[in-house]
Amino acid sequence: MTIAKRIVSLFLLTIVLIPSFVAAAPGQASNRVDIMDKLANHYYLDFKPIGKIELPRILYYNGGISYYPSTSAALNSSSGWVDLYYYEYPDKIAYKEDGSIYPASYKLVREDGSAPSVDFSLSSHLVWFAISGFLVLFIFARIKGKYSSQSIDGLVPKGPVQNIFESLVIFVRDDIALANIGPKKYLKYTPYLLSAFFMILFMNLFGLMPWGVTSTADVMITAVLALFTFVITQFAGTKDYWKHVFAMPGIPKFMLFIMTPVEILGLFTKPFALTVRLFANMSSGKMLVYSILGMIFIFGELFGPAVGIGSSVVWVLFTVFIYGIKVFASFLQAYIFTMFSALYIGIAAEDHDHHHEDHAEEQHHHEVAVAASSH
Amino acid sequence: MEFAYLAAGLGAGLSMIGAALGIGMIGKSAMEGTARQPEATNDIRTSMIISAGLIEGATFFALAICIILAIK
Repeated sequence: MTIAKRIVSLFLLTIVLIPSFVAAAPGQASNRVDIMDKLANHYYLDFKPIGKIELPRILYYNGGISYYPSTSAALNSSSGWVDLYYYEYPDKIAYKEDGSIYPASYKLVREDGSAPSVDFSLSSHLVWFAISGFLVLFIFARIKGKYSSQSIDGLVPKGPVQNIFESLVIFVRDDIALANIGPKKYLKYTPYLLSAFFMILFMNLFGLMPWGVTSTADVMITAVLALFTFVITQFAGTKDYWKHVFAMPGIPKFMLFIMTPVEILGLFTKPFALTVRLFANMSSGKMLVYSILGMIFIFGELFGPAVGIGSSVVWVLFTVFIYGIKVFASFLQAYIFTMFSALYIGIAAEDHDHHHEDHAEEQHHHEVAVAASSH
Repeated sequence: MEFAYLAAGLGAGLSMIGAALGIGMIGKSAMEGTARQPEATNDIRTSMIISAGLIEGATFFALAICIILAIK
């Protein structure tokens, strides 16, 4: 009971505290929040009230690679890099207390306005991608060490970490890999599916933390993940799979002129759908949270601060509800990405024991058999 | 420019109608199937999520176009 009371009082405190932040905000144009900016990739990690951590810049220009520990260092190195914002508005250059240039847009161009040929710089999405990758590596190296220690104690999962991850690993192995790839080959692809599942799960959940960045709300990150699935699917492909792509059995020969291009297109739409599904789900969830919180400010500007403060209780409750859904969606999207990957790999790696004279007839026989057995 | 916002709003609403209809029909069939054959619940749930995910993917293509219209 005491825990429940504490949670309720904490919640009431939040409701009381939030309007005090809101009351200062309406009407000030400089306080406006750009929602798309929250989703975008940045060259710094934003810890809002405390400050920013600028990330190292690696720029390829004119055949040479230049490295700077931060964007400020690149701007102040007098090697010809200018902030894009200052290039467009040269009279608005802002300086820090010690006289060095303050970065505005974090987009670097040369003094003549040309962009770097390739920008290899670390960005916020990439940093969180790496953090979740190393976290997966760290956790599973620890757990693996426990299992491979020969004592019988090591085989029994101990503690919350090992218990949680063992149940998730078994879920991915049995309900995703085994169910979609089949008993013969599933162990070969389980490591990839596990890595993908936990990487995506961690990236999704990091986006829900304060100051966290949802790496999966970046189309490039999800495209790379889908590319891995695509490559593995093609390598898993059996002779039968390629036969289905280039010369679908059981149809008239002239239909191949239509079927083969469609099948080849189908190879590429699968990873494309994987990319867009994960990216759109995660970014729309984040946009929804900011949009609902933004309703407070919209109400405050339309009907006066009092209505904004009063209605904030409703919007905060809505946001908490959406947050709960987002926790669920983080798991669901990791599951769906992994399951579709397993499904595609399973389709490619499937061994056909029978010949494909006529799919329709075979299907018909199957239905008759099922109908007969159910009576 | 104003018409782009109108189109984005209408497009988002219309694509949601389609997606809701599709996913609703899947949910209906899955619940009927589960009620008839409770032992097949796990298989039905898996195929339900697969079909819902496919519909969702198509809906997101429509929504992406709406977002592009709204923020261009």
